[in-house]
Order: sequence, then C-alpha cells, then structure tokens
Amino acid sequence: MIRSGVRRAFRLALRRRDGWERDVEDEIKLHLALRAEQLAAQGRNADEAYAEALRRFGPLSESRARLIDAARHREQHMQRTELLSDLRQDVSFAVRTLGRQKGWTAVTILTLALGIGATTAVFSVVSSLILHPLPYPNADRIVHINQQPSEGNNTGISVTISAAAPVVRAWMKATRSFETLEGSQDSHQTMKTANGEQSTIATSLVFPTFPEFAGVRRPLLGRMFTKFDIENGAHVVVLGESFWRNRLGSSQRVLNQTLTISDTLYTIIGVMPATLGFGAASARPIDVWLPLDIRNDKLGMAVMARLRPGMTVGGAMKELDSIFARSQGFEFGKIPFRTMITTPAQKLRFHDSLVMLAVAVALVMLVACANVAHLLLARSATRQRELAIRAALGAGRGRLLRQLLAESLVLSFTGTVCGVFLGWLGLHALIALRPAALGALEAAQLDLTTLGIAIAVAVASGMAFAAMGAMQSARASTHDALKNGSLAASGPRGHGRLRGLLVVSEMALSAMLLVGATLLVRSVVSLQHADLGFELKGLYALTVPLSESGFDSRASRADVMKSVMSRLAAIPGIRSAAMANVAPGGRWFNIGRIEVQDEPPVAKSTSSFVDVNSVQPGYFATMGMRVKTGSTFTDTTAQSLQVIINEGFARHHWSGASPIGRRMRIAQTDSEPWLTIVGVVNDVSTSGAASESTAPVLYTPMTRVSGRPEVLIRATGNASTLAPAIAMLKQLGVSKPTPIGSMEVLMSGLIAGPRFVMLLLATFTVLALILAGVGLYGVMAYTVAQRTREFGIRVALGAPGQRIARSVIAHGTQMAVAGAAIGLAGAYWGTKLIEKELYGVTRLDPASFAVGAIVLIGTAVLACVVPTRRALSVDPMTAIRAD
Amino acid sequence: MTRLPVLKGTLDLLVLRALNWTPMHGFEIVSWLERAATGSLEIEDSALYQAVYRLEERGLLQAEWGVTENNRRARYYKITTAGRTHLRAETRNWMSYADTVTAILTAAQDATPSRAAT
Repeated sequence: MIRSGVRRAFRLALRRRDGWERDVEDEIKLHLALRAEQLAAQGRNADEAYAEALRRFGPLSESRARLIDAARHREQHMQRTELLSDLRQDVSFAVRTLGRQKGWTAVTILTLALGIGATTAVFSVVSSLILHPLPYPNADRIVHINQQPSEGNNTGISVTISAAAPVVRAWMKATRSFETLEGSQDSHQTMKTANGEQSTIATSLVFPTFPEFAGVRRPLLGRMFTKFDIENGAHVVVLGESFWRNRLGSSQRVLNQTLTISDTLYTIIGVMPATLGFGAASARPIDVWLPLDIRNDKLGMAVMARLRPGMTVGGAMKELDSIFARSQGFEFGKIPFRTMITTPAQKLRFHDSLVMLAVAVALVMLVACANVAHLLLARSATRQRELAIRAALGAGRGRLLRQLLAESLVLSFTGTVCGVFLGWLGLHALIALRPAALGALEAAQLDLTTLGIAIAVAVASGMAFAAMGAMQSARASTHDALKNGSLAASGPRGHGRLRGLLVVSEMALSAMLLVGATLLVRSVVSLQHADLGFELKGLYALTVPLSESGFDSRASRADVMKSVMSRLAAIPGIRSAAMANVAPGGRWFNIGRIEVQDEPPVAKSTSSFVDVNSVQPGYFATMGMRVKTGSTFTDTTAQSLQVIINEGFARHHWSGASPIGRRMRIAQTDSEPWLTIVGVVNDVSTSGAASESTAPVLYTPMTRVSGRPEVLIRATGNASTLAPAIAMLKQLGVSKPTPIGSMEVLMSGLIAGPRFVMLLLATFTVLALILAGVGLYGVMAYTVAQRTREFGIRVALGAPGQRIARSVIAHGTQMAVAGAAIGLAGAYWGTKLIEKELYGVTRLDPASFAVGAIVLIGTAVLACVVPTRRALSVDPMTAIRAD
Repeated sequence: MTRLPVLKGTLDLLVLRALNWTPMHGFEIVSWLERAATGSLEIEDSALYQAVYRLEERGLLQAEWGVTENNRRARYYKITTAGRTHLRAETRNWMSYADTVTAILTAAQDATPSRAAT
C-alpha cells in the first residue's frame, strides 16, 4: 500500500483551499443522510427523521463553521509536518546514498571545503589589508599626507618626507578640504620597569583627538590625554590594550602608576582598546600612546586626514600646497616641497602581490566549483538508470529533482562546515607566517562577507549542476535508459561536452597559476641568491648611542670611538671593524643638485636626493666591497675633500673613462666645496636585493663622529662571539648599546614580503593542480566506467590491453593539452599582473612556461593511471554479463 | 434513564477506542458509541467530528476516502500506531483516575454516619 503521505504529496497540487471545505460539507451531508435513514428505519417519517438528525448534529451553521475551522487547522498542520518529514526523509536518503560512494563523496566535500576555506582565509587577509586598511569611520575618505621635493629629481630616488609641525599647524588652521588632520610620530623607545629591566616598546605620539578620529569611543580604563595635559607639559601616558594585557596582566590598578620611557617618568592615565591603531598593515600594535605637542616646531610627523565629503585628492593637494607656500613665505610656483596625498591602500608595500594573490585564489575557487560541477554531472549521469527505474516506479520528476537537490544540499552543508573550519585554520596559519612588516595582521579576523560569498557560490553551483544533471537525465527517455543500460557510450550527449569543457577550463586555470607560481618561485630564489655587492656572511652591525649616553661634545665622541675601535680589533673572532654613518638597511640622504666639473651646469632649482655615507677607510674591506679603480681614502683629516663614488654613478657620467681625479659636489647654495674623486667601488644593494643599486652613492671620509655611529664588524664566528663587544661598550660608559644585528638576518627579512606571497601562491597553485587533477580523474574514471562493457567486448575479441590503455590516456592528455594551450596563452597576458614582483626573471620566461605545461600534462597523465588500470583489469566475461 | 454529558477530554479516548477494532467513517463511529454506551451518553454529533479532526491533526488518526457498503463516498478513519499507544496510556490513566475517584467518593459515604454518632 502506498503511504498516505506519498499519496497526499501527489494530491497536494490538485487540492485547492476549497478542497477540504467541500470534504467537510460532504462528510456532514453523508452523516445527516445516514442518521435520517437510521431514524426512518426505526419507523419515523422522512421529514421528521431529517429534523431529528439535524437536532442531534447540533446547530448546523455554527457547527459547520467550527468543523471547517478545525479542518483548516488540521490541513495546515499536516502540510507542515509532511514537509518536514519529507525533508528528513530526503536528507536521510541522501546521506545513505552518498555513504555508499564514500570516495566520491569525500572528494566532493574536500573540494568544496578547500575552495571555501582557501578563498575565505586569503580574502580575509587581503580584505583586512587592502579593502579595509584602516578600521576607521568613513575610511574611504582617509588619506595620508606627505611632502616631496617639487622638482629636478635626477637620481631616480623617490623619497617622501613627513611634514614639520609648523606646516601641519598652518594646514590645520586654513584647510577647507579636510574635516580633521591628525599627526602621529611612531618610534621605538626603551622602557625601564621598576626592577630595572629594560625593553623596547612601540610608542606613538598622537593628538588627543586621535581616538575620536579612529572611531574609538572610550578608553578601556581611565581617560585619554587632553590638550590641557599637553599645555601643562604633563608627562602622561595611555597604554595600548595588548601591552596592558600581556605585560601588565590586565591589572585594574595601573592608573596613576608610573612608567619610565627613555629615561622620563610618565604617569599612566588610561588604557585604550586594541582597535585604536594604524590598521593591519602596520608593523605591530602600539604599546603606549604619548601626547604629541603640535607647538613643538622641531617635530616632524606622519599626517592622516579625513577629506570632507565631495572633496577630491587633487583639489586638496593644491590647497595644501598654497597654504604651505603662504605660511612659509614662498612664492606659490616655487615651493621646494609639494604635497603628496596617498590612500592607505596605496601606501601598503605588498599591495600588488596581495591583489595578485586574491586573483589566484579566485581562480582556485573557480577550479573548485568546476570540479564540484562535473563531479555532480558525472554522478547524475552514472545514476541515469537508477533514476529511470525510480521514474518508472512512479516517482515524479519533481520528486527526483528534490532528491538530487537534497543530496547536493547535504554535500554543500558538510563541505561548508569543513570549509569554515579550514578557513579558520588557514587564516591562523597565514597570521603565523606573516612577515614582520605586517605584524598587526595578528588582529585579522575571518571576513564574514567573503565567507558568505564563497559559501553562496559553492552551494549555488552545486545546486545548479545537480539540477542540470537531473534535467538532462530526465529528458533522456526512461525507456532508452532502461534498454541500453551501460552500453550507452557516455550518457546524454550534452553531458560529455559540458564535462570536457569544464576539465579543459580547469586545466587552463591551473596552467596559468602554475606559470605565475613558477615565475615567483624563481624570483624569490634569485632574490635569495642575489649578489648584493657585499658579503653578508659574518657581517654584523652595531649601533652606538653616544649622545644618549652623555657623549655630547665632538671631542668626547671621537675619543670614546677611538677606544671602541681599538678594543674591538682585539676581540678574538673579529677580523675587522669600521665605522660608518649608516649601516646596510638604513639610508642617509643629501638634498641638492649633483654638479660635475666640466659638465654643463644643472638648473639651479634642481633638488635631488643623493645617498651619502660617511665611512672610515676600512669600511669597504669590512663590507667585502671591491674598489674598482683608484683607492680608498688617503686623507681622513677634518679638511679632507676626497670622495668615493659607486660604479653606477661613474658609468653614468664618465661611461668607461676613469673618473679618478675629477671633481664633483652636491650643491644647494653655491658655497659647497668641490670634492675630488679618489676611487670607484662596486654597486651595492643595501636595502635588499630588489632595491636599485646603480643610483648615485657618495662615500665621504668620516671626519667627525655623529651621535649614533654605526660600527660594521666582520667576524669569523657567530653573533655570540661578539658578546665581549657589548661588555666592552658598557665599560666605556655607553649605557644603552643596542643588540648586534646580523646582516644576513636583516637582508633575508627584507625579502620576507615577497617570500610570504610566493609561499602562499605556490600553496594555492598546488591546491589548484590537485583539484584539476581530481577533476580529470573524475571524468576519466567515469568514462572508463561507462565503457567497461565495450572494453570487455574488445578484450574478448582479442584487442591488446595496451591499445585500450592508450585510448584512455590519449583522451585525458588531449584535454590536458588543450587546457595547457589555453592556459599558457592566458599566462602570456596574465603575467603582466605580476611583472613588478619579478626579480631576475622576465615575465615571459620560457622555462617557467615550459614547467607549467609539463607539470600540468604530467598531472593529467597521472590522473589517468588509475582509471586506465581499471580499464585493463576488466574481466571480459563479467563486463559483458553485467546488465 | 438520564443521559450523561461526556466529560471533557474523554471523547477523544472513546473515538480512539471505537477505531481500535477497525477503520470507520464518522457515522459508524457515532453509532458504535451509541451502541456501546447503550444510549446513556449524551454526545452532540458535530462534537464527534471536531474530536476526529483534532485526533487526525495530532497524527493519532489517519483519514482516507473510501466507499460505504451502499456505495457512498465516505471519509474513513483509521487509528495509527501513535494513536494505539496513546489509547493504551490514556486508558490506563483513566482507569486509575476513575478508581481513585470512586474510592474517595465511596469512603466519604462511610465516614458521614460515624461522625454523626459522636
């Protein structure tokens, strides 16, 4: 007997609202009739009997209304429960069906999970860095304001300078383009605790209005400093949340306690929540907030501002330029520094890499969707017979469709749950692997919008393809499906085409990713092995903070450094040491125009940034640099006018001829003395392998010791052998020597960004490749399953197994080759996107393209191996007998 | 003979009991109850239908259109497994309730004269 629920399901469409109303009427009518008959049989006349029946029934119109009401209630309730029980039935049936094909189910769920997880994890990072770089209200109107030399930049070095306090004051007073301007000055300072322990903390000097600007309503504890604190010169400090939690154990009693920061005693007046900061792209969370006094003319500061609605960046730049000119007494056309306004996203160092990464992950998501799609299609095709049988047994098309949808829902749901978990895991892995420059990324959270979109895309594509498969199966006539059975070559014709198309496009996307990833891997390898122009191994730098240790006079500095240098040389393991104004990783510029004797004079308004370093004669030997022509300094007296230049500069001006003995200078006024070139040294990339090394660099003899000289040390052992150097400095009265930095570590830190992106991209490429492989495997396995009977017959007729294997592999390879061709063509344009990220390899590097194609086709052949072996293992008799 | 009004809630129980044996349509249920109660129960016919619909909604009954022996279309009601379980439990409840009430009522009758004696 067919269950009444099923019966009801079919009648559902026929029964309108008045259907059950009529049922009630019929029931009442029948009852009255039967009752009247009963009474008539007891001997009453017909009219009397009917009247009595009515009486016993109860007041008719009222009763009828009550019954209809009860019936409506009943119908609604039963429809609801039936819907639920149908759903439960569909889902449990789906779970059982899927459970029978564990491998297929696992692959599909894993594919979905990887797609959703990877996309969510990476987009969460990208969105916190690029899309929402600053978590401030009206963030789209926030900009950074800097200044730049206005013209004549002939060194190719682009430098921005932060605005000085008087300029910022003038801007704040007169601007109409901005709602507010906020200055800040970040630095690292030494903090001393009560028990004398020292540590370095990240500090930021800000205006009292900064929390409001950043959308932070109230402190966690205490209060923010006010302009009265600043006017009174109060030494007050507000703590950052992470500092307060990690270093002070979230103590509620910190207020009014004191902290010693850079030898000044500060009173803690408040704690600010972690949301106050400079966004995920900043190096690390701020430990303490200090007041920034805008009245102090000597201060320079980074400026952030919120544009008024409707104001443009261009207009704002013009306005700030004119305010600057007016306030500083320049003529408008002749200001030395021009305002430069950038958006937070532009300021981000890894901007392009991250965009590229986002594109890569979107491609992976597409591959995953394509995979799920044809996994579903392949499945619905193999189930054509099952579906046909069920249709023949009376299941409606809607019912079958609902069944398939239920299956895809079960898959989507499980995939989504796993995907969210993977995304969460992935995000934390990314955060753990983050380069130091993105320290504040720590606070990044799963981006719910992305998660929503990823799930929606995955579920929608799953449902769509499930439905498509069902429709195609349903269209094929039931009779044909039953009659032909597995003899049918590949299900409905449309299926094969669609699946082929999906595989080819997956292969193409994977090929593009492969080429891109190979290019980047090669770039990072070249970056790591790049010749920087100096020897990294065994090179250390030591900053000596003389002025902070009370060596204020020039003579006392020269004296102490003389002792330092001679004692350093005596420490075992130190081969040589030399003082310099800046060590690798840092830069120091002179601003002016480069003038070379006997060359036509340069326009007076020219103003360039030129790298200048004052060094001791032994600097080049210690660095491991080569003096190409001439010699190192021979005159190191205070009157020395010698200069050493780099090869790039020499080539640019003397192209081949020897510059030794020629004279040059960096002029601002015309009173600067001419310097005589005594030597040429090789180009060095002191700011990392990717930095420009051929721009002009001038080395001058170190004739006087600055307040914070750098000492470069060439050692035979590792950093620990340099411990005596620190002890020696302390002995000499240098109170706060900074730790000795290894140049190897420093330089590898400089390529941490590209390496991070490369690692991610490589991971996603492997992921895409695996997915594409799985996709191809699915299709091949399906094809082989479809042709099992044909293979059996062919083997029975004496066809050699190899020929069958060849046909299977050829089929797979064809699709892979087509995909690879399309993918490489795509990569031809696509690599433009990453051109800027490449180092030591061109974007059309043939080797990388070849690797892409070979790996792809190799994967494809591998994906065909299992199906091929299955095809060969077909026992002819079984295959033919199989229904 | 006086006809007793049906106590609230017991009609459901009676309907289930009626259907426990075999599926019936509405009038058959009414007739069965009248026969079983030998005319001592006062039931308004429409109330019975309301009870039936209620039981159907709760899944204790199932309805199907069928044909009477006189070839008339009628809605037949059949007790479900849930209905049977419900019937068993409620019958037990009702019996013990009735026993208790009976016990109390009869005990009170005995008590009155003894108090009068003091």
